[in-house]
Amino acid sequence: MSARTALPVALALAAALALDARLPAAEAPAGHPAAVDQCYSCHHDGGTPQAEAYAHDVHYQNGVTCADCHGGDPTLEDKDEGMSRARGYRGKIRSSDIPSICGRCHGPGNAEFKIRFHLSNVSDSLAAGVHGEALRNNDKGPQCVSCHGVHDIVRVDDPASPVSPRRVARTCAKCHGDAAYMREFNPRLPVDQYEKYLTSVHGKRNAAGDARPATCVSCHSNHMVMRVKDPRSPVYATRVPETCATCHANAKYMAPYHIPTDQYAQYRRSRHGIALLEKSDLNAPACNSCHGNHGAAPPGAASVVAVCGNCHQANGELYMKSPHKDAFARLNLAGCVVCHGNHGVQEPTDALVSLQAGGPCAKCHKDDGSDRAAPAIRRMRALLDSLSLGQADADRTLRHAEQLGMDVADAKYDLKDVRQALVQSRVAIHSFKVADLADAVHPGIKVLASSRKSAAEAVHDFYFRRKGLVISTLIVTITAVLLWLKIREIERDQEAGRG
Amino acid sequence: MAAPISTRVLDWFRARLPIDALSEFARHKQVPRYRGSIWYYFGGVSLFLFIIQVITGILLVMYYQPGVQTGYESVRFIVVHVKFGWLVRSIHTWSANLMIGSVFIHMFSVYFTKAFRSPRELTWLTGFALLALCMGFGFSGYLLPWNTLAFFATKVGTAIVATTPMVGRGLMEILRGGKDVGAETLTRFFGLHIAVMPAIFTIVLGAHLVLIQIQGMHEPHGWKDSPPEQRRYMPFFPNFVLRDLLLWLIVLNVLAILAVMFPWEVGLKADPNAAAPMGIKPEWYFLFMYQALKYFPGKILMLDGDAVGVLLFGVAGLLWVVVPFWDARLPEGSRNRILNWIGVLVLIGMIVLTGIGLS
Repeated sequence: MSARTALPVALALAAALALDARLPAAEAPAGHPAAVDQCYSCHHDGGTPQAEAYAHDVHYQNGVTCADCHGGDPTLEDKDEGMSRARGYRGKIRSSDIPSICGRCHGPGNAEFKIRFHLSNVSDSLAAGVHGEALRNNDKGPQCVSCHGVHDIVRVDDPASPVSPRRVARTCAKCHGDAAYMREFNPRLPVDQYEKYLTSVHGKRNAAGDARPATCVSCHSNHMVMRVKDPRSPVYATRVPETCATCHANAKYMAPYHIPTDQYAQYRRSRHGIALLEKSDLNAPACNSCHGNHGAAPPGAASVVAVCGNCHQANGELYMKSPHKDAFARLNLAGCVVCHGNHGVQEPTDALVSLQAGGPCAKCHKDDGSDRAAPAIRRMRALLDSLSLGQADADRTLRHAEQLGMDVADAKYDLKDVRQALVQSRVAIHSFKVADLADAVHPGIKVLASSRKSAAEAVHDFYFRRKGLVISTLIVTITAVLLWLKIREIERDQEAGRG
Repeated sequence: MAAPISTRVLDWFRARLPIDALSEFARHKQVPRYRGSIWYYFGGVSLFLFIIQVITGILLVMYYQPGVQTGYESVRFIVVHVKFGWLVRSIHTWSANLMIGSVFIHMFSVYFTKAFRSPRELTWLTGFALLALCMGFGFSGYLLPWNTLAFFATKVGTAIVATTPMVGRGLMEILRGGKDVGAETLTRFFGLHIAVMPAIFTIVLGAHLVLIQIQGMHEPHGWKDSPPEQRRYMPFFPNFVLRDLLLWLIVLNVLAILAVMFPWEVGLKADPNAAAPMGIKPEWYFLFMYQALKYFPGKILMLDGDAVGVLLFGVAGLLWVVVPFWDARLPEGSRNRILNWIGVLVLIGMIVLTGIGLS
């Protein structure tokens, strides 16, 4: 029987048993409210499982009586009177009413009580989250007892609690692993999270008895669970790194595991981190894009290419056909990470293709004449440079022509093809074959030549226009001067004639 | 011995046309020579710039294709790919602006020298019609490249027409060829610019020139009463014609420098769905009206402020056109004073408002 079906049954059973009144008083400690609690006395003495369980319940231990939830008057021995509607007896509690009943203590009111028992307003949190929404739409939706149990509620830090760190994943999976049940709320939601969790590093450690690794509530929060696409959710794309960093950047917390804690610091400064966190580009990868979420684990050398290739598909495919694939596998090197790094991955530049000390190629290849890959590396770098430097040069010349007032819009438009070729070349280099790279570079070089020619012609045209202007202005000016002299001559003759 | 070929050709024409009579007319036509003679030349400069407009306009129309999809592209083609196309377009645009400037100067010089007075009322009226046509040329031609500035300036310009009381909206829709500026506006502006207006302009210009020749050059106030030895003249031909030609050469140089040093940009293609760019304003010769309309409040005594503005401009323009007729009714002595003050106020107002608009 699942937790959600157990509750109504348990409550019904409790109500039925409660009808059997006038049972002898239970052995409640003196002064405990249950000492005069006829409900508890009868049910306990009758050996009902609810009352048996309630003896260990944290509420019972703190003086909460059956009537506090179920209503009625526990001081009356007459069960009909004590369990009458007139005495406020509500009997079986409707599932959707449970949060409000729990909320009488765990909700917004009763401040004094909450301070005394260090309680927080979790009923409002539940209502604000996706679980509260599910409950409002469907009576079968999750509420307090779905996770915490019914009459046997214990403290969360008690290993017996279904929401204790070691048991909470299984508790969540009662619903989230039940496809038929989940279909009633969100048919598109996967139901394999728990299985994946068990394969994750978090899950394995948890299963081994370590309560520190992340469980469902560590990332999704507990009472106010929001949809993943809700920006308020701790697992919303832009918040994932920060959520993971809560543990992974805490050196003290992570000390027992002997793994670095600077991943988040590196990631924030990385190309991926800047795209996601500063530019809010939701396509940019967060921790879970590479490590997985429920099945979170380090990708491992063998699967790095597949992980990066999820987004950088063309690069990944070319790499898989490249000579590096087998070589790296033999050396147990983690593919893409060798050249690009992992958490701190920066925007790649053509300078990566270099034999200089410190460069990624130099990690394996020597530039002393003995390595036959060295000339190929130099050639590939030269090809990339010819395009990128050529593009910068053409861009400069076209800008110069534009500043001179020449119309070079067509040539500037053509330059887009060079940019495209450069992008393709930077992808093609992942085959690590000179011929493949040359094929990608050459179309760009051709466009570059015509763009440069257009730019040069525009600049030449500019000076041609200036020269033409000077010559034509000179001719017109000389003609005007000659005309002026002719007018003077005519007028002198006319003056002389009149004289 | 047979006469030279030039003489024979001239004789051939002489036998068919009244060349001798024309030559005699030109030789005897006299132009007053005084301090204000310089103002006589602006009519000729305007004519010269109009001739340039016609020549460059014909060259442009060989490549220009009106249409929302072709207008901008064909102008770009002219500027980028046609040999000296950039120069032709730049000269066309600059000479249009210079022509309107020159016509304005010509009009004010005629006004201040009172050259519109009897018997030259018709010359004044045809001259004003030519100025209005020049502005119409400017307005219609501005849209033809179909670039962003032109598109939105036309939108603003035609919207002002819509504020004319009673007939405004109808007039605007006739101008636009619909409710908004679009393909229909472009084609009708093109038709107006290259066919309708040139035809009307040529007729009015012909009448204007004929009137000038019939009535002769205007002589300044009191010229007839001054002693004959103080009245100096120069022959219209060759002296005045050659001086005119000299000024034309200077204008040609200025035009060439402007066209080459400051080629008119094609701009960005108009996108009717885009937001209007900041600072959209009409061409400088409409700015004084545009700027003045901004100072009118939204409502004036239940009437739309812009409509009142347009109405006032209409009345002022009408009074300006008919100045020869109400001027004749003023007492003789006060004529010059009142007219000069009005002219100075109008001129200062136009310059200041244009300056504010440009800044």
